Amino acid sequence: MKILVVLRMIPDSAGELELTSDGRGIDREWLDFQLNDFDDHALEEAILLKEAAGATVVAVAIGEGSNRVLQMAVARGADEAIALEAEGDGMIDSRAIAGSIVALARSKAADLVLCGVQSTEDLFGQLVPYAGALLSWPHVSGSSRLGADGSALRVTQERGGGIAATYEIALPAVIGVQTASKAPRYVSGSKLREASKTAIGKAPSEPAGFERSAEIVALRLPGQRGTGENLGDNPENVAERLANILAAKGFAGV
Amino acid sequence: MRIVACTEGSFGKLEPLSLEMITAARAAGTAGDEVVAFFAGQDPEPAIASLGVADRLIAASAGNSQLIAADPYARLLADAVAAEEPGLVLVPYSANGLDVAGDLAARTGWPLVSYVNEIIRDDDRLTVVAQVYGGKILAECSVPLPAILMINPGAFAEAERRDVDASKVQHRDAAAIVAEGKVRLIGVDVPSYDSVDLTTAERIVCVGRGIGDEASIDIARGLADILGAEIAGSRPVVDSGWLPKARQVGKSGQKVKPKLYLALGVSGAPEHLEGMSKSDLIIAVNTDPKAPIFNVAHFGATCDLFDLVANLSERLQAASSR
Repeated sequence: MKILVVLRMIPDSAGELELTSDGRGIDREWLDFQLNDFDDHALEEAILLKEAAGATVVAVAIGEGSNRVLQMAVARGADEAIALEAEGDGMIDSRAIAGSIVALARSKAADLVLCGVQSTEDLFGQLVPYAGALLSWPHVSGSSRLGADGSALRVTQERGGGIAATYEIALPAVIGVQTASKAPRYVSGSKLREASKTAIGKAPSEPAGFERSAEIVALRLPGQRGTGENLGDNPENVAERLANILAAKGFAGV
Repeated sequence: MRIVACTEGSFGKLEPLSLEMITAARAAGTAGDEVVAFFAGQDPEPAIASLGVADRLIAASAGNSQLIAADPYARLLADAVAAEEPGLVLVPYSANGLDVAGDLAARTGWPLVSYVNEIIRDDDRLTVVAQVYGGKILAECSVPLPAILMINPGAFAEAERRDVDASKVQHRDAAAIVAEGKVRLIGVDVPSYDSVDLTTAERIVCVGRGIGDEASIDIARGLADILGAEIAGSRPVVDSGWLPKARQVGKSGQKVKPKLYLALGVSGAPEHLEGMSKSDLIIAVNTDPKAPIFNVAHFGATCDLFDLVANLSERLQAASSR
């Protein structure tokens, strides 16, 4: 089995986001970029499948810091690393990169494409259904467990409310991973140093061929809609206020 | 213009967000527009008994399957869209919707905007407001029609539930499409609440990514014990294996409405807020003053959560032993 796993570098969600002067993008100059959390789980699921059933794992990364994350992927067990050319330096738009992922899935003769179920930048749709529909492969988003069974895949999907459905899917397929079967592993510094010697291939951007798309008119920061009270940043003061509030509302005795 | 509003349900229940899609369709429409509800599931009765606010209902049912996977759902929807030629298709942001919206967009080539909160009609275009970066940024987008929108749960009110007139229901037998599909349902797990049912808990202490590591959860658990609260976690905490799945709050976990919800190190992604924003009293502690959790919190603090929990636990214990 050959698995293509997609790794997208996105702005650190804990960081402060500021808008560009034209108001159509976020200022990326001082941002930290990190691997999309769901893609990290997709990578782990790919490596777990390789260990359980035997597979070749091709990691393809896009965005700022791709080379670093590809070395990490190789250190964790990926067999091949490819940096995908990004168009422009803005959001990683899953609708736009779907064409490149489809081209790579075909050229690498992948049986399975894994990527995170969503990213914070997929405003114009998620990669999994785009890639699945463009390839005419079945796709399932939101997996929490994956197992290979010959030419079929067994996928457990989180449906909300704690309900989980398990499907059998004929390969080839595209799966959007929400949670890997096991938490993503850590890799040692020595493995990372070893992996840094791996050659990183390059893949050009390919259009997905959509003629019409929505476009961003303006970005804005949400106003604080909450009317909540700010108790400040001094832990002792906050604790005192909270103890009183909890007591007043009947949640603690005073 | 015709607007197709996608709805969902299983196990004899229609998902409440189905009724939100009808309200969203009315918000996007103008007088004279027709709203067609689309349902695909095992049993169409709950849809027929609820979606009367729509002008018509297309009810695809497959008696042979407890759940309809997104793959056959998308194929049934594509057939309906080809027949109805709508100007707009609304899909709820749900596990199913994540697969269905992009699939239809790829097959039709139509524009798609996800995570939509607001829709403004402007003749042959829409202006929509959508959430990106975990709710930290709002994106105003211009959308040429026909188009597909994926709508956030809770963004629109539920439409009134009433029966669909029998003459307005078009039944479709989906059994063959489900049976021949490449995605075959082989089992459904409904959570068991042997140990904990967060949906009935009156007090919840929820830890998020900000708790840092597994060992630190004990500190939060100590405070939960003092308060008589259940301990819960956001998705990253449960994904890391620090708390069991039954204790997850949010879109892919439980939707809760306790009297007290204390969020420690929870940023408040839209998927988390969906599961807890209706709690009676929400107290949030997060060092990031821009964390979206503060949009729903009644009381918020930006101090170090460990210092706070230690100090607060001490005060509450001292008070109770007095």
